[in-house]
Amino acid sequence: MDIILVQLITGIAYGMLYFMIAAGLTIILGVMNVVNLSHGALFMLGSYLAFTFINNGINFWFALLLSAISVGIFGIILEKVLIKRVYGKVLEQVLLTFGLMLVIADSVKWIWGTEMQTIPAPAMLDMSIPIGDMAFPVFRLFVVFVGCLLAVLLWYLEAKTRIGAIIRAGVDDRAMVGSLGINVGAVFTGVFIFGAALAGLSGVLGGPLLGMYTGMDSEILVTSLIVVVIGGLGSWKGSFIGALIIGVLEIFGKVWFPSLSMLIVFLIMMVILIIRPQGLFGREVA
Amino acid sequence: MKKNILYAVLLLLVVFAVPQILSDFGTNLTTEIFIMAMFAMSLGLIMGYAGLDSLGHAAFFGIGAYSVALIGKFVTNTYLIIIIAVAIAGLIAFITGAVFIRTSKFYFLMITLAFSQLIFTLLWQMKDLTGGADGMSVSAIMNLGFGDIFDPQTMYYVMGIIFVAVFILLRLFVESPAGKITKGVMENEGRMAALGYDVRVYKLLAFTLSGALAGFAGSLYSFYNVFVSPELSAWLFSGQVMIMVIVGGVGTLLGPAIGAGVFIFLQNFISTYTERWPLILGAILIFLVLIGKGGIIQWLKLGVTMIFKSRPKNNKVSSTIQPEKEEIIS
Amino acid sequence: MSLLKVDKINKSFGTLQVLHDVSLEVQPGERHVIIGPNGAGKTTLFNSITNHLPITSGTVYFEGKDITNLPAHRLVHLGMARTFQKNNLFGDLTVEENIHLALTAKKKYRHDIWFSLTSRSDIKKETNQILEEWKITHRRDVKINNLSYGEQRLLEVLLAMASKPKLLLLDEPTSGMSPAETTQTSEMIQRLPRSMALVVIEHDMDVVFAIADRITVLHHGEPILTGTPEEVRNSEMVKEIYFGGGAKKHA
Repeated sequence: MDIILVQLITGIAYGMLYFMIAAGLTIILGVMNVVNLSHGALFMLGSYLAFTFINNGINFWFALLLSAISVGIFGIILEKVLIKRVYGKVLEQVLLTFGLMLVIADSVKWIWGTEMQTIPAPAMLDMSIPIGDMAFPVFRLFVVFVGCLLAVLLWYLEAKTRIGAIIRAGVDDRAMVGSLGINVGAVFTGVFIFGAALAGLSGVLGGPLLGMYTGMDSEILVTSLIVVVIGGLGSWKGSFIGALIIGVLEIFGKVWFPSLSMLIVFLIMMVILIIRPQGLFGREVA
Repeated sequence: MKKNILYAVLLLLVVFAVPQILSDFGTNLTTEIFIMAMFAMSLGLIMGYAGLDSLGHAAFFGIGAYSVALIGKFVTNTYLIIIIAVAIAGLIAFITGAVFIRTSKFYFLMITLAFSQLIFTLLWQMKDLTGGADGMSVSAIMNLGFGDIFDPQTMYYVMGIIFVAVFILLRLFVESPAGKITKGVMENEGRMAALGYDVRVYKLLAFTLSGALAGFAGSLYSFYNVFVSPELSAWLFSGQVMIMVIVGGVGTLLGPAIGAGVFIFLQNFISTYTERWPLILGAILIFLVLIGKGGIIQWLKLGVTMIFKSRPKNNKVSSTIQPEKEEIIS
Repeated sequence: MSLLKVDKINKSFGTLQVLHDVSLEVQPGERHVIIGPNGAGKTTLFNSITNHLPITSGTVYFEGKDITNLPAHRLVHLGMARTFQKNNLFGDLTVEENIHLALTAKKKYRHDIWFSLTSRSDIKKETNQILEEWKITHRRDVKINNLSYGEQRLLEVLLAMASKPKLLLLDEPTSGMSPAETTQTSEMIQRLPRSMALVVIEHDMDVVFAIADRITVLHHGEPILTGTPEEVRNSEMVKEIYFGGGAKKHA
């Protein structure tokens, strides 16, 4: 019984991490109609930056902040110099963001090498609590907490603020945002920075949880794309639920049917798409 | 018809000229290019003629390749092995495609990507069957009825001739009723439905044919390389073949083949000097988007127009990588 | 038995009800025109009949068969075709290629992946017939995007007619046309074979009275009158909502 509880919470922790990444990815897709294949690489970059900060004596929390800001600033440059040239051109987006992903991932490999690394959990969370007769790392609970905090924050943003209204309108009807006299370019830049910073932030939180290794960018990208597909383009609520499903399934899958966990995730995605081709909470495409 | 014969003759001339010009290494590399060209053409078919941008086409390539590796343990007849491999790839394309084509453009990209990664993971995890991450060697030897094919020279000509045949078959498809209708569906789905076409049938037909062709290319690769590994189905490889198609020119048949040639050549050339091929490839892609002047086919056309300025005005090169209506090559 | 029977259909977008218990009958060969002010729900009615939009309630019958939930492409094979208010053609293809696409829809070889479409002799013959009948043979190799607006409108109708439907729905065939083009189109519609029933949405009253056997007036999503052109012309109610109340006659 205890072991199932431990697995469940671990799965939720993974899910919350995926939610943080997918939240950025889905909103960039929903509002900007940009498929950002370099999103996983931004996550990776966040991890490794924090790794270096911490190795140079900076404390975990400060490193967390610095990494998120650094990746966010990197995001501004990407959007202003490159991404804005490919709005509305899907194939060029693929070419560009695939190229970015290769450049970032290969640079990381070049700078930090191919050895598997990890970020130690911060001192105040580097402990375990007992669940039955098992020891459960507190850091995972912390990730769950951050994920829920983000979910509440995003819900508040979407439902109660003007920015949220603009973003929602952007997902539903992009022409309308422009006709309301809102600076669409600024909205896009803002959305992209937000997504990039969130990817960087979750990269740091993912460090102690998943470790860092070559190919992690690709893995996390695929997982978060599946989350976005299940949840529906541009829907935070959908991403939250999709991420929970995937996180929990992944952990239980790894334990109970290790060679088929990906297949099960995929089949679930297919079933959802057969019933709802636009994802759980996606808007119907007219 | 005359045009097809002309194309076949021209391409066969190229096939027979290459070994005279290039070294053995270059010729062997060209064999790989022929296989990758067929793979790229299979993706180019659905991207340029059905509007289906798949980021997961390596799934079918890998399925074809592993089918040969696995079936080859029990069956020796090359034709039979390839037919089974192609049938498996086509069947899986048909089943998955039936779901994939219901979705919108971005979804299609993401789902196909996930599918590619699924096949990769399965090949990786089913160690007992596939050897997992270590890959597996291919025991089947190609024999088309005139003896076992070992030497690179014969392999080269076989692949070259198959490539030309596939190209001509694709040309026939594009000119056939189903091919034209599929293109019409890509241009204006709603109107095609209003004209009386069940548009899904044509999308699924194109996707299935394309998946089967990708599987065919994969099965040939298996014979050529005598070794297969899960990376053949990884989404990174899917991304690479999409790059071949886009860089070569979407909306043409030969463009993707040329893209494959340039890609494989650069990959081999640059890799001999540095380990940083992914970095350089990424930089090239970003650069291509920044200059944004269509695919290689479009550049060639631009070159032709500049040389023969008398050509009519509607020969402009599109400012984006979106397909242009093809007149020179299709 | 009537050719088309629309039985009390309703259509809402959210809380906005666009069609209110609309019923309509069209006999074989009849030319039925639907008029009504902008926003009366005319195009929505078309989209509901052809199932481009799923309706909220009600039934549509074609030759007595319930076609309410049939996908658009099936209707063509039953004998019903439509045009669109905005030109909806294959702009990058030539006139000839557009006609080819339309003609192939009912051919057995439409699933053929092998033999060239353009080498089929029946396609060639039928295309030539259409081109000659409508005197556009000299335009056959022109891309749609290079045609005049009026020519595109004509082609819009020709594509829909290629399947030789029993019922053709024309959505504002003269919209956006110059007076000269409008007259031409009106004459063209009158030239259409009498065996084919027409349902036409039209604003221009000269065209309406030139082609209509019967007219239905739609107002706020409700059919308020169906009758002969004479009856409609003399109806006080129609004058009130259509010509009175500040609404201008459309040119």
